[in-house]
Amino acid sequence: MDGKVKKQKQHQQKHSGPKAEKKKLKQKNDSVEEDERKRNPKAFAVQSAVRMAKTFHRAQDIKTKKHHIPIVDRTPLEPPPIVVVVVGPPKVGKSTLIRCLIKNFTRQKLTDICGPVTIVSGKKRRLTFVECNNDINTMIDVAKVADLVLMLIDASFGFEMETFEFLNICQVHGFPRIMGVLTHLDAFKNNKTLRKTKKNLKHRFWTEVYQGAKLFYLSGMVYGEYQNQEVKNLGRFISVMKFRPLVWQTSHPYVVVDRLEDLTDHERVRTDPKCDRTVSLYGYLRGTHLKNKGQVHIPGVGDFQVSDVNFLPDPCPLPDTQKKRALNEKERLLYAPMAGVGGVVYDKDAVYIDLPASHVRQLQEEVRPTTELVQSLIETHVTLDAKMAASKVSLFSGSASLDPTDINDEKQEGHREMRVWDSNTQRERRKVVFTGGEKEEQSDFSGSSSDEDDDSSESDQEDQEQDEDEKNITSHAPPVKKQKLEEIKGESEVIPEVLAFADSEDELEKSEVESEGEDEAERAGDSGHSSEESKEESDEEENEDEVMEEETGTAKGYDSEEEEKSGGRHAVDDCRPHSNFKLIWRPGVVSFVCPPSVCVISLFLSTGALKWKEGLQQKATEAFLRHQEAAPNLRKQVYGSVVEADDSEEDNEEEELGGLFRVSRPQKSKKVQANALDCSHFNPDTSHNWDLEEMLNSIRDCFVTGTWEEGQDAAMLLKEDEELYGDFEDLETGKVHKGSTGEQDQAEVSDEDRGVKVDDEEVQKNKRLEKKRRLKERFDAEYDDDDATYFDDLKEEMQKQAELNRAEFEDMDDESRVQYEGFRPGMYIRLEISSLPCEFVTNFDPHYPIIVGGLSTSEGNVGYLQMRLKKHRWYDRILKTRDPLILSLGWRRFQTIPLYHIEDHNGRHRLLKYTPQHMHCGASIWGPITPQGTGFLAFQSVSGVKANFRIAATGVILDLDKSVTIVKKLKLIGYPYKIFQNTCFIKGMFNTVLEVAKFEGASIRTVSGIRGQIKKALSTPPGAFRATFEDRLLMSDIVFLRSWYPVPVPQLYNPITSLLLPVGQKDTWSGMRTLGQLKHDLGIRNKPSTDSLYKTITRAPRHFNQLHIPKELQKALPFKSKPKLQQLKGKTPRDLKRPSVIREPHERKVVELLRALSTVHNYKKKAAHTVHHAKHKEFLQQKEKEEEAKLKRKKDAQKKLYRIMGQRDQKKLRSSLKGTTQDD
Amino acid sequence: MASHGLSYEGCNFLRQRLVLSTLSGKRVKIKSIRSKDDEPGLRDFEASFIRLLDKVTNGSRIEINQTGTVLVYQPGLLYGGTVEHDCNPQRSIGYYLEALLMLGPFMKTPLKATLRGVTNDPTDPTVDLLKSAALPVMKNFGIDGEGFDLKVLKRGMAPGGGGEVVFTCPVRRTIRPVQLTEPGKIKRIRGVAYSVRVSPQMANRIVESARSILNKFLPDIYIYTDHMKGANSGKSPGFGLTLVAETLSGSFLSAEMSSTPQGQGDPILPEDLGRNCAKLLLEEIYRGGCVDSSNQSLALLLMTLGQQDVSKVLLGPLSPYTIEFLRHIRDFFQLMFKIEIQKPLEDERKGGDKVLMTCVGVGYSNINKTVK
Repeated sequence: MDGKVKKQKQHQQKHSGPKAEKKKLKQKNDSVEEDERKRNPKAFAVQSAVRMAKTFHRAQDIKTKKHHIPIVDRTPLEPPPIVVVVVGPPKVGKSTLIRCLIKNFTRQKLTDICGPVTIVSGKKRRLTFVECNNDINTMIDVAKVADLVLMLIDASFGFEMETFEFLNICQVHGFPRIMGVLTHLDAFKNNKTLRKTKKNLKHRFWTEVYQGAKLFYLSGMVYGEYQNQEVKNLGRFISVMKFRPLVWQTSHPYVVVDRLEDLTDHERVRTDPKCDRTVSLYGYLRGTHLKNKGQVHIPGVGDFQVSDVNFLPDPCPLPDTQKKRALNEKERLLYAPMAGVGGVVYDKDAVYIDLPASHVRQLQEEVRPTTELVQSLIETHVTLDAKMAASKVSLFSGSASLDPTDINDEKQEGHREMRVWDSNTQRERRKVVFTGGEKEEQSDFSGSSSDEDDDSSESDQEDQEQDEDEKNITSHAPPVKKQKLEEIKGESEVIPEVLAFADSEDELEKSEVESEGEDEAERAGDSGHSSEESKEESDEEENEDEVMEEETGTAKGYDSEEEEKSGGRHAVDDCRPHSNFKLIWRPGVVSFVCPPSVCVISLFLSTGALKWKEGLQQKATEAFLRHQEAAPNLRKQVYGSVVEADDSEEDNEEEELGGLFRVSRPQKSKKVQANALDCSHFNPDTSHNWDLEEMLNSIRDCFVTGTWEEGQDAAMLLKEDEELYGDFEDLETGKVHKGSTGEQDQAEVSDEDRGVKVDDEEVQKNKRLEKKRRLKERFDAEYDDDDATYFDDLKEEMQKQAELNRAEFEDMDDESRVQYEGFRPGMYIRLEISSLPCEFVTNFDPHYPIIVGGLSTSEGNVGYLQMRLKKHRWYDRILKTRDPLILSLGWRRFQTIPLYHIEDHNGRHRLLKYTPQHMHCGASIWGPITPQGTGFLAFQSVSGVKANFRIAATGVILDLDKSVTIVKKLKLIGYPYKIFQNTCFIKGMFNTVLEVAKFEGASIRTVSGIRGQIKKALSTPPGAFRATFEDRLLMSDIVFLRSWYPVPVPQLYNPITSLLLPVGQKDTWSGMRTLGQLKHDLGIRNKPSTDSLYKTITRAPRHFNQLHIPKELQKALPFKSKPKLQQLKGKTPRDLKRPSVIREPHERKVVELLRALSTVHNYKKKAAHTVHHAKHKEFLQQKEKEEEAKLKRKKDAQKKLYRIMGQRDQKKLRSSLKGTTQDD
Repeated sequence: MASHGLSYEGCNFLRQRLVLSTLSGKRVKIKSIRSKDDEPGLRDFEASFIRLLDKVTNGSRIEINQTGTVLVYQPGLLYGGTVEHDCNPQRSIGYYLEALLMLGPFMKTPLKATLRGVTNDPTDPTVDLLKSAALPVMKNFGIDGEGFDLKVLKRGMAPGGGGEVVFTCPVRRTIRPVQLTEPGKIKRIRGVAYSVRVSPQMANRIVESARSILNKFLPDIYIYTDHMKGANSGKSPGFGLTLVAETLSGSFLSAEMSSTPQGQGDPILPEDLGRNCAKLLLEEIYRGGCVDSSNQSLALLLMTLGQQDVSKVLLGPLSPYTIEFLRHIRDFFQLMFKIEIQKPLEDERKGGDKVLMTCVGVGYSNINKTVK
C-alpha cells in the first residue's frame, strides 16, 4: 500500500423517509414506558382468579399493616424539654458526654453533673439530660421517663450486662428512642480489629433495638473531651429526632424533679429530727394533664397525696419566636439547680452556695433571665398581697372609709413583710433574715441570682450565705437595679389581668386569705375542696335565708374588688327566671354594686405605680361593664369559692375587725338539707304559667314549626337556590323562569325578620359569602374523591378533636385554665407534698433522679392482680411460688409474693410450684391496681451488682379480678374397715359427720383404680362413711378422694424505698428474703424424706413350682405345645466305648523302633524330593530357554520371508508401472 | 397506701357518692345519716340500693354502724353479669336504675339486671322516662349496640309494686368525647300513657288532654296507650303519662307524671294529669339543651369519664341534683367543668338560658374489663 489511510464514510442519520418515521415512533413508545400493559395485554391478562385474589389480598395486607390506629394528637403547643437519658456501665464516659453536649449547645462548662440539666438546644427544642448510674433501681426509673436514651458502650470492652438489662427494661416499659454511642475507640491500635469490632457491636445492637438503629462512634478524647465535630453531629441528631408517643407516658402525668426544697418548720425539725417533712418538688410536667390534689407515686419513696400544685414561670424558656436562624448567646439557657447552676449546691445535709471566683460574672449573666422570671413571680405575689392589704381597706372605705395614707404606710410596711409572706412556705425563714433595709436588698439579689433556693439555704447556712451575698452585691450592683425596674413592669402587667378575668377570683381570694393566717392560707390555696367543705357550700346555696346572709358575709369577707363586682352581677341578673339563681341573688346588694368599683379604682390610683394608672381605670370600668352584661357566675355557684369554704374560720376574725356583718348559720336547716330526699327530678319553676300565650310563644322556635335561622330556613334556602340556579326553561311548556332578583329577596328577608333593621351591606356581604360557600361545597361534593376509607374518616375525626382540644382553652389565662384541664404538660410546676419521710430529705443524693409519677383515679388502690409471666430466658434459675419477687410495674417498684399457676383445659387455675422453663404461666399477686396491658419486670434482688443477668421474668397484667381462685390438688386418704360385696365402710378420710355430708356423692377411687362414690355418713366412728365401688375392694386397698383446695394469694405489698437509704448505700435495698436465701443464711438444710433416698436394690430370688399338665390334656395338645419328654443326649455308655490298648515292653520297643525308622525314612524322602524338585526346575528353565530360541528363530525366518515377499511385490508394482510409462 | 377516702354528711345524694366512689375506687364515708331524725339511720330503700351495689360489684366492703347513721364504703370491682334484685317499694325502680345506668358500661362482663318493684311513682324518674330519654343520651357516648336495652316486662305502680324491668348494657373500655352543642328543633313528640288496674279509658283521656296542649305547637304527636292486664299489671292501680320530644339532631327532652299512689293524698283526674304533664314538657322545652334535666348528671358523668379530650354539652339550667353532682365529680375526679351561660338572643323564642358545659375528660379506662 502506499501509506494512505482510507477514510471511512460517516453515518448519516435519516431525517425523513420510512426509517426515520419508524425510529420516531419507537422513541415515542419508549417515552411512554408504562404502557407495557397496553402494548402487551395478553401478558398481563388474568391467568388465575385465585392467584389474582391472593396478590390483591397481599397488597392490601401490606397496605393496612402500615396503618396505625389514629390517636388524638394531644401534644402540647409548647412541649416540655425532652428527657435525654445517658446510660451505660461505669467508666464509659457518661458524664463526659453530657458535659460535651452541654458545652456544644450552650457554650458553658458544667463540671459536675448532679441531677437533671435542662438546656435550650434550639428554637423549638429543649433538652433535659439525666445521667443514669449503674444502680438497677435508677435504670428502671429512668427508663420510664426517657424520651431518648443515649446508650454508651465501651467498645474496647464490648457489651456489658447492664446494657442488656437496660434494653430489656425499656422493652417492657415502652421503648423510647435509643441511640448507641461507642466510646473508647482509641484503645484500638489495629485498624482492622477496630473495624471488625465496630461491625460486630453494631449488628448485635441492631438485633436488640431494630435493624438500622443509629450507632455513634466517639473516636477519641482530646484534652479529656470528645472531639468537637463528633459531639456536634451527635447534638444535631438529638435536636432533629422525632419521638413516638408511649402509652404509659402519654396517659400519666410525671415530673422529673430538678429541684427540691424542704419546707418543714425548722423548730419542728429541731425538736424532732425524724418528723415527717413537707417538701416542694419542682420540675417540668410531662405526659398528660396533672390534676391538683391528685395522687402521685415517687419511685423509691412511696405513694403520696399532693397537697398543692402551682405553676411557675418557665426557668428555661424557649426563645420568643423570631425569624432568625440560630440562637444567640442569651437564649442558650442552662438550668440545673441541683448541679449548682444558679449558685446552689446540695450537700448531704445542707445547701451551699457555690460561686467560684472565676465564673461568677459569667454565671450571673447567663442565669439572669431565668431568675428574672422567678423574681417576677415573687413580685406577683407581692402585688397581690399589696392589693389584698389595700382591698381590705377598701371595704371600709365603702362603708366607713379609711384614709389612703394609712394604706400607703401599711403597704410600705407590707412590702417588706411581703417577702416574708410571699410564699406560704418560706415566711419564717425570711423573717429571721430580713431585719434591716440592707438585708432586704440582699434578699432581692439572692432572689435574682438563684431563685428561691437561696431562701431556704439562708436559714440553714445563714452566715455563710450572707458573706456570699455581700460578695455578690459588691460585684454586681447594676443588674439588681435593672431587675427592680422590670419588677415594676411586671406588676403593671399583672394587675389589669386580674381585673379582666372573672375566673381569677380564686387566686385573688387566695392571696387575701394567705395574709390572714398561715393555716387558712394553706387550705385556701388549693382549688379543690375537702369534702365537708363542699357539703357546707351545697347546703348554703340551697337555703334562701342562709344565702342572704352568706352573700353579705362574703361581700364583707372577700372585700376584694372582684368579689364586689360579682355581687353586683348577681344583683343585676336577679330577675332572671333561673330558679337556683333566683334563690341566691334575690338579696338586693345593689347598694354594694357601685361604690366598690369606684373605690377599687381610687384605691389603685392611690397605691399605684406611675405608668399604668390611667389605663387601669379605663380597663377596670370596662371589665366591670362587661361583667355586668355577662351572666352570673354559675361556676361560682357550683364550685363555690375558696373563701366561702373558709368562712367559718374567718368569722371570728372578721367580727374582730369590723363587726359590720356576721354570718349566722342556722344549723338545723343545714342538717335537714343534708338528709333531704335523694331525687334527680328537677321541679319546675312555678313562675311559668303555661296557660299564657306569652309563655307559649317563648318556646315557639324550639319546634320545627317555628321560625328557622337564616341559614337553615327552608324557604330561604330555596330562594337562594333559585338565585343560583334560578334561570331555567321548562322544556315541556317552553316557559322561561327567571331567578328572583336580590332586592326582592332582601325585602322578604327583612319581612321575616319582623322589622329588625340590619345593615344592608352586611347582609349583602353575608349573602355573597354564603353563596360562595355553597358553591364550593357543591364543587367539593362533585369533584373530591369519594374513596375516603374508614381509616381516613377516623383520622379526620381525630384531627378535629385535636383542634378542638387546642382551641377550647386557648384564650384563657393559665390560672383558670389550670382549673379546668389541669396543669398541662410543658409547664414548670411546683408540687408540695406533706408528710414525706425525713430520710427523703436527709439522705438526698442528686445523682439519683427523683421522679414524681401521677396516678389515675383507681391506681392508688391495692388489690389482686392476675398477670401472664415468663421467666426471662437469660435468667439462669426458675422461680418458686411464694418466693418474694421484686416487680417494676407502672411507676412502682415493689416486692410481692406471687403465686404461679397455669390454666387447665377446663379453666381451672392450678398452682405451680415453679415457673415453667420456656413457657408463659399465670401469676397472681397482691399489688397496686394497674390498668390491664401494662408490662412489668421482675427481679429477685435489686441490691448490689451481680455478674449474672438480673431480670428474672417479664410479663403483662391481664386482669384485676378479686376472685380468681388458684387451687392445688389435695388427696384425702381413707381405709376400708368393712367390705361387703361392692359396698364398703371407709374411715380415716374425714373427722366429722358434717364433713362427710359435704362430700356426699363425691367420686372416690382406690389406688388400684376401682372407682366409687361416697354414699352416706356413718354415725360411728365419726367421719366414717359408706361408699360403693364398681368392684369388690380388698382390705389392703387405699381409697382416696381427689379434691382441689383454693390457695389464697399472700397479701404482701412492700414498696422499695431505695431513695430513703443513706447516701452511698442506695443500691443496697433488700427486702424479704427468698426461702433459699433464708435457708442458706440460717444454715438450715432440709432432711430429705427417707423414702426419697436412693438405696441399693436387693432382690430375693424367686422360685416357681413346676407346671403340672394333666395327662389327658397333654394328649390333646398339639405337638408344639406338648411337654417334651425326651432326655437330652448324654455320654456314650461304657459298653459302647472302645477299650484302651496297653502295650507290652517289647511291643513298645518295636513301635519305638518303627517310629524312628519311619522318621529317618521320611527325612530321606523329603531330601530326595527337594533334590528332585530343584532338578525339575532347572530342566524347566532349560526347556523354556530352548523354546525361546526356537521362537526367535522362527520369527526371524518369517521376517526374512515377508521381507522378500514385500520386495517382490514392490518390484512387481514398479515393473508394472515402468511398463506402462514406457508404453506411453 | 396513701389512698385517702372522702367523707360526707347526711343521706342526701347517697347514690351519687356511692356510684362515683365505685367508679373512682375511692373510699367514702358518710356520717350522720338522719342522725337527728326520729328514725335515725339508713332507710330500707337505701339498704336495698346498697345491696344492689354489692350484687354488681365484687370485693367491695360496706360497713354500717349499729344505728345505721354511719356508712363506710370501700369499693370493689364492678363485676356485672346477671343480677336479680327485688327493689324496695319505698322508691321506684328508677331510683336504682339511675345508678345502674351510670355503672353499666364499666363492668367486667355485660350487665343483665332484672329489677322488681315499683316501676312508676311520682317522686323518681320512671322506667319509661329512662328508657326514652336516658338511653339515647348514653348512645351519644358510644354505648349502644344489640345488648343495650331496657325492657318493661311488668308494670307495678306505687305503693304495691310488682313490676319487673330488665336492663342490659354492654361493656365499654373507653367512652368517646361528645360535642352536643346544637339541640336542634323538635320534630316529633311521642309518649306513653299507661294505666294498670283502672279502666283502660283512663289512658285515652290522658292522651286527649295532653294533645290538646301540645297540638298548638306540633302536629306530629303520637301518644301510645299502654294498658297492662293480669299478671303484668302489678299490685296497685294507677296511671300516668310520659312524654318525649325528639329533636332533629337526635336529642330527647322528656317529662312525665304519675297518678298519686293509692291511699296517699288526693287522687288526680286523668285530664289534669295529661294537661299538667304536657305543661311539664313545655317547661322542659323551655329549659332546653341537648339533655333533659333528669339526665344531666348522667351526661356529665360520661363526659367526665371520657378520653382526655374536650367534651361539650349544652344543658338547660342545672338542677340542684346536678350541681351537687358536679361538686362530687370534683371531689372524686378532681375535674371541674367550664360553665358558660348562653343567653337567648332578643328576638329568639327558644326558651330560657342554656348552660354550655365543657370539660376535658379524665381519660378513664375500664379497668374491670379483662384483656384477652
